[in-house]
Amino acid sequence: MLDGWDHEQLLAALGEAVRARQAVPDSFIDMGKGAYAWHNIDAELAQLTYDSQRDRHSAAVTRSETASIRALTFTSAHLSLELEVTGSSLLGQIIPLRSGTLEVQTRAGVTTTTPVDEIGCFAIEPIPDGPFRLRCHTADGDDVLTGWITL
Amino acid sequence: MRDDPSVVALVARAAGSDQDAWNELVERYAPLVWTICTRYRLSSHDIEDVGQNVWLLLVEQLGKLREPAALPGWLATTTSRECLRVVTTAQRTATRLDDAPEFAADVMIDEEILLAERDAALRLAFAELQPSCRQLLGMLISDPPHSYSQISETMGIPMGSIGPRRARCLERLRRSDTLIALGTGGSEINTPGGGPGA
Repeated sequence: MLDGWDHEQLLAALGEAVRARQAVPDSFIDMGKGAYAWHNIDAELAQLTYDSQRDRHSAAVTRSETASIRALTFTSAHLSLELEVTGSSLLGQIIPLRSGTLEVQTRAGVTTTTPVDEIGCFAIEPIPDGPFRLRCHTADGDDVLTGWITL
Repeated sequence: MRDDPSVVALVARAAGSDQDAWNELVERYAPLVWTICTRYRLSSHDIEDVGQNVWLLLVEQLGKLREPAALPGWLATTTSRECLRVVTTAQRTATRLDDAPEFAADVMIDEEILLAERDAALRLAFAELQPSCRQLLGMLISDPPHSYSQISETMGIPMGSIGPRRARCLERLRRSDTLIALGTGGSEINTPGGGPGA
């Protein structure tokens, strides 16, 4: 690929390559390295499939009465987590309904555990200040991890 | 480049439990993920979210990648998909809709992959040069570049020797194993200055 290049071109390409790396903030690199902490954790990732804040435009038609409530849905192959911010707490439900435990994990690595009742409901209080994610262990053995959430 | 053994080896080691190998993969390809996010004009908050998801998805896929040598392609496609999700869900206001990126995503992604592989190979080859070459070339590629008189003063070498040293260092760079391996790959990429990475 570089065979036909003279020294000027090679030097220019090297400059571009080095600057491309310098343009990436260290925090972005560190976050990538930190993701390895999740290696060999046997959890299934749940993706954000609904966010009232993002989807407000389309939701306004059907959900005008609840437009002021922030609602999020995370979906994995086996279950969904529906979340709603109400005041200082975050209420949630596992669909389909079942009991289990829920871990709240912050980027700093702090984890707190909350019970999930038999109809899949849980409450997180207070809502974490910074980004956090939820890991849900259901009584029937599913283990699901959400993407990062900032409220 | 698709059969670059070092990427395959890094993926294999990271699929075990080798944090160093994982770190090297991140160092090498974070610029690719980052560049694609900026092409979609995401906010820094959204870029962080996309980055998180991409790396977590990769962690999840490490042992399952069917073609580990094609990791840059996998990363580019995954990043692009995650960006599109953010862009699509963010198009809730007319202004953002008007600002939606206008480019042929597939073409862009292919170019970014080639550029990322070239850049990663160049950085790797550069890192393997002896310190005096790294210092000299580093001063020449800095923005703005150092003048020969500054280089002469900093490195304590005569001005007249800078040209020949520069040529020797660039020749070593060109003949490094990493760049020779890259040379067996595609040749579709633009020369520097005119490419999408400019």
